[in-house]
Amino acid sequence: MTVQLQALDRELDRLEGLWSDGLSETYRAYLDSVGQFAAETQPKLALAAALIEVGLRLQGLGGRAAPATTLLMGDLCLARGSRLLADNAPLAVQVAFARAIESMSSAAASEQPTPTTRQLLTTALGAGTPPGVQVR
Amino acid sequence: MTANRIEFDTTRSTEFVDITDRIRDSVRQSGLRDGCVHLQSLHTTLGIAVNENEPLLHRDFENLLERLAPTGAGYEHDDFSRRFDVPLGEPVNGHAHCRQLLLTAFATLLVEDGQMVLGRWQSVFAVELDGPRHRQLAVQLDGDFGRRRSDLPESLVEIELARQLMVDPDAVASPMRRLVEAGGKRLRPKLVQLTAAIGPRNDPLRAAELAAAVELLHNATLIHDDYVDESTHRRGRPTVAAEEGPERAIAVGDFYFAKATRLIAEMGNAGVTSALAEALEAICASQIDDVALRGAFPGDRESYLRVVRGKTASLFAAACASGALLSGAEPEVVAALRRYGDLLGIAFQMADDVVDFSPSSGKPVGLDVRQRVLSLPLIYAAEDRVVGPEIRRLLAGSLGDAEVGRVTELVTSCKALTRVRKEAQALVEDAVRELEAAELDGLRPALVGLALSAVDRQS
Repeated sequence: MTVQLQALDRELDRLEGLWSDGLSETYRAYLDSVGQFAAETQPKLALAAALIEVGLRLQGLGGRAAPATTLLMGDLCLARGSRLLADNAPLAVQVAFARAIESMSSAAASEQPTPTTRQLLTTALGAGTPPGVQVR
Repeated sequence: MTANRIEFDTTRSTEFVDITDRIRDSVRQSGLRDGCVHLQSLHTTLGIAVNENEPLLHRDFENLLERLAPTGAGYEHDDFSRRFDVPLGEPVNGHAHCRQLLLTAFATLLVEDGQMVLGRWQSVFAVELDGPRHRQLAVQLDGDFGRRRSDLPESLVEIELARQLMVDPDAVASPMRRLVEAGGKRLRPKLVQLTAAIGPRNDPLRAAELAAAVELLHNATLIHDDYVDESTHRRGRPTVAAEEGPERAIAVGDFYFAKATRLIAEMGNAGVTSALAEALEAICASQIDDVALRGAFPGDRESYLRVVRGKTASLFAAACASGALLSGAEPEVVAALRRYGDLLGIAFQMADDVVDFSPSSGKPVGLDVRQRVLSLPLIYAAEDRVVGPEIRRLLAGSLGDAEVGRVTELVTSCKALTRVRKEAQALVEDAVRELEAAELDGLRPALVGLALSAVDRQS
């Protein structure tokens, strides 16, 4: 875990406060879903998913709008998560993540119940799974 | 082939009129990439010459013409008693006709890579031999107009934007459609389209898809910005946050952030995806800095440049780089265009700051002041020895209409706006210089024109 976190140091710039405020737990939860990827990309993809989940939560998507400064922090989480995916994830995973956010934000705009973020993003990570491999 | 006329008035009997810039404008406007400009005098006493623009040399030419064909030297053409059908007011100008015989009535100039091929000291002159008169030259431009595609791709972007919005759920598509239809300069998509025509894999349809995705991404950031800045209007219409509430604004911004990144990823070019993802991260990071700096309003130049580089220039640079990457341009060309976009983005923001103080902009004057948004003219004015102390005092308090009006008046009264304008122009010159060494396949004039128009504006 220490080695993984050192690799992610740069990615946590400006987000250190969030790490101790739930981001680390979310990250650990996604680590269980990235086993099918190359070892060096696993922490980056888990962090990407965690950043997107936390970012959406900070923004208040589907609930009460966040105050301006919190929204901007949420935007940064989303952007960084997206950049991590762009640099490390297969195209199918990038597309699946984008579609997951589209479905959540579309539901929020229509004032429909928002799908569970964790479930949608875990499924998106599975888009990179070769046929026959089971995703936990 | 395309044709036009160059018209001008001369003021003296013999005069060398430099028409080089007029021809250069014709070439630029036509989009001629490689070919010729044909010039023809439409008069029998107006010649054409290619020579040096040096006033004493022109006097030497005049003296030479006078020696070879002196005025009033008994020309038979001037003996009206021996001519038929002499028009009323016919001038005594045998010498002028003879002089024209020594010059030429035609010229062909070469154009390469969108530029006229002229030596360092060469200029093109219309030579008046019997002035003053109103004169006309016929101009024909012939050759490869392969890069005269700038009109068509712009409409492709609008079609692509409309197509994308058509398939989206109404709750998100309607607010975005209103924003898209309200206009905007579309500079980022234009940059994508222009740079996407540089490399060997030039595909206008794919370029338009990427350009539309970049515009959607930009608009998504604007929707969140407007909520953060508490802006009530953008492009003359209510903002999404003001009209539909912050919850909807956040959802619409997120939807198009995600959709744009998906459309970009689906293009299947990893370099393009990375370039735009990095830009988006830079935008979000600098938005946080921008808001944080409002506590120390109006801030300083260094902070301003740091924020603007992230908030505005990063997407300009990424738009240029991504278009070039999509077309398979060489890495050094991509790098040069990225630097061009970065400098242009900063210059554009500076020009935008100046427009905020212009009553003819169509927007409320001093909006940046009211919203405490970083603004370089305000930073410079606050540093001014004469008006600075009053500006700083006003900014330290609450900003009502009277205070904003007074701050605007003070900024306008000092040299801050001129200084920012000059700085923006210098950045554009630097941006254009970045293009000099790059092989741009005839697109340099269009990129130069776009850069100039980005800072030379009223709104």
